[in-house]
Amino acid sequence: MSRIESILWDDWHVVAEIARLRRQGRMTTTLLGESLRLRRDANDGRIEVDRKRAAADGSVYQPVGAVELRYGFVWVCLGTPVRPIVDFAECAEPKRLTASAGSVRVAVSGLRAVENFLDLSHLAFVHAGYLGEQPHTEIHPYTVEPLAHGGIIATGCRVYQPKASPVAAAGFDVDYIYSVLRPYIVVLYKANPIEPRRKDMIALFVQPVSEETCVAHILTCYLPHDADPHAIRRFQQFIFGQDRPILENQLPKRLPLSPRAEFSVRADKSSAAYRRYLAAAGVRYGAIAEA
Amino acid sequence: MDRWFAVARSEEVRQGHVFQSALFGQEMAVWRAQSGGVNAWENRCPHRGVRLSIGEQIGDELRCRYHGWRFATGTGQCTYMPAHPTQKPGAALCATVYRSSERYGYVWASLQPREDAPLLPLPEPGTTLRGVYVDAPAESVGERLLLGYGLDGERRLCVRRLDPYLLIGEPRSVRSTGDASADAMEAATSEAAAAPVLFLLQPLDSRATVIHACIAAAISAAERLAVLRAHNTRLLAIRAAVEQAP
Repeated sequence: MSRIESILWDDWHVVAEIARLRRQGRMTTTLLGESLRLRRDANDGRIEVDRKRAAADGSVYQPVGAVELRYGFVWVCLGTPVRPIVDFAECAEPKRLTASAGSVRVAVSGLRAVENFLDLSHLAFVHAGYLGEQPHTEIHPYTVEPLAHGGIIATGCRVYQPKASPVAAAGFDVDYIYSVLRPYIVVLYKANPIEPRRKDMIALFVQPVSEETCVAHILTCYLPHDADPHAIRRFQQFIFGQDRPILENQLPKRLPLSPRAEFSVRADKSSAAYRRYLAAAGVRYGAIAEA
Repeated sequence: MDRWFAVARSEEVRQGHVFQSALFGQEMAVWRAQSGGVNAWENRCPHRGVRLSIGEQIGDELRCRYHGWRFATGTGQCTYMPAHPTQKPGAALCATVYRSSERYGYVWASLQPREDAPLLPLPEPGTTLRGVYVDAPAESVGERLLLGYGLDGERRLCVRRLDPYLLIGEPRSVRSTGDASADAMEAATSEAAAAPVLFLLQPLDSRATVIHACIAAAISAAERLAVLRAHNTRLLAIRAAVEQAP
């Protein structure tokens, strides 16, 4: 296989939820096609990550140098880190409830998973009764702009949601901001049901397992009205469980970057911008490059 | 491939259900509109690639599960995009439609039909059997059928190939097999046993095939179950033999 592009190889990716690794003691996983072994030392609690390498007499595990723990997840860089892990100021705010909401394996390119996270017009169908509902299907114009350091931001997104979060008691028009920060990392900010002027944050860290398989790791950073982290976790996993069968039925499994490969309309502005950003950044892993 | 293939039995393509089929690795969504017409479409929505076979038939339209886009029977033209309810979808916005037809109890489709490509002339009336999925290429299935169609090596039907995807089995003179249960079955199915059987091979892709078998006779209700069972047993034996071949 040809070498994986630096924008992915030399960046940080989530490979596990720390709480789960603590519980299990050890795990195996795959990142960008590389087999990893994760261990938590029973004595000092340190977390170590080894990478499987082919050797003349079988395979051996060698330690991965770049390992960090952040936001409740284990982060790994297989190459040489050229930039820090994405920074979320909200997670440093006191009184915020920052919690990992679990990891979901999906048999599709992680780029498709990111695009689905950005998608507004599926909410009334795939998440009917929660994040949208018929006849509130119309998507009004919103703004998409490039970010200075790469990525895109979509602002002015507004959708009617019957149950926007675990604490929402009634439906309301929810304001959203979406931001793609890295090819496989996307975050949304949505108005809190109790304090509509302030925003809850949900980030999706997508671990590219292979070009056609991923694990989506969910981070939530809610305002403190949500007392129960278990309810948040359950809600997010329920919502992602609705997306998963859709994602696993997308053909082809990799994301086509050519604007001619799939038909886009005005509501798909952020998706089209995401594909353009990936193409311009030279992302090929998990994508079908423009011919 | 310039010809028609049976891609589903008519009775499998019912209102409210979208049947998933395939030809040469091309997945198809086969569905019936309320007005009765059948459609064989590429199994992906032109918008974001979701399989249309997980969609819903609503009247004369198929609705995609992902964003609720609707596509019209016959043309595949998108008629409604819920994200832009007042916007008329452009003429180019269509599901990819394969040429399809319904006859002899089957839905037929062609990836690249000639304008004048005729349907196979099948006998009418006929009795279509449940399609049998075989985990082997159509060529291997055809070769196994040519060895004969019967149980335990006893050749009941003499099979010859009409083309790579169509074979016909014709009965030899009926004789006692010395096996009481087989003789009983033969007697029960005497009329049907005298009729030829057509084998229509549907190549799902380069590794998998569906055998659609069609008996060139109407079968009485009294005989029906015994005949279907007898053929099902034979077809399953053929499947086992092909799949176990080295």
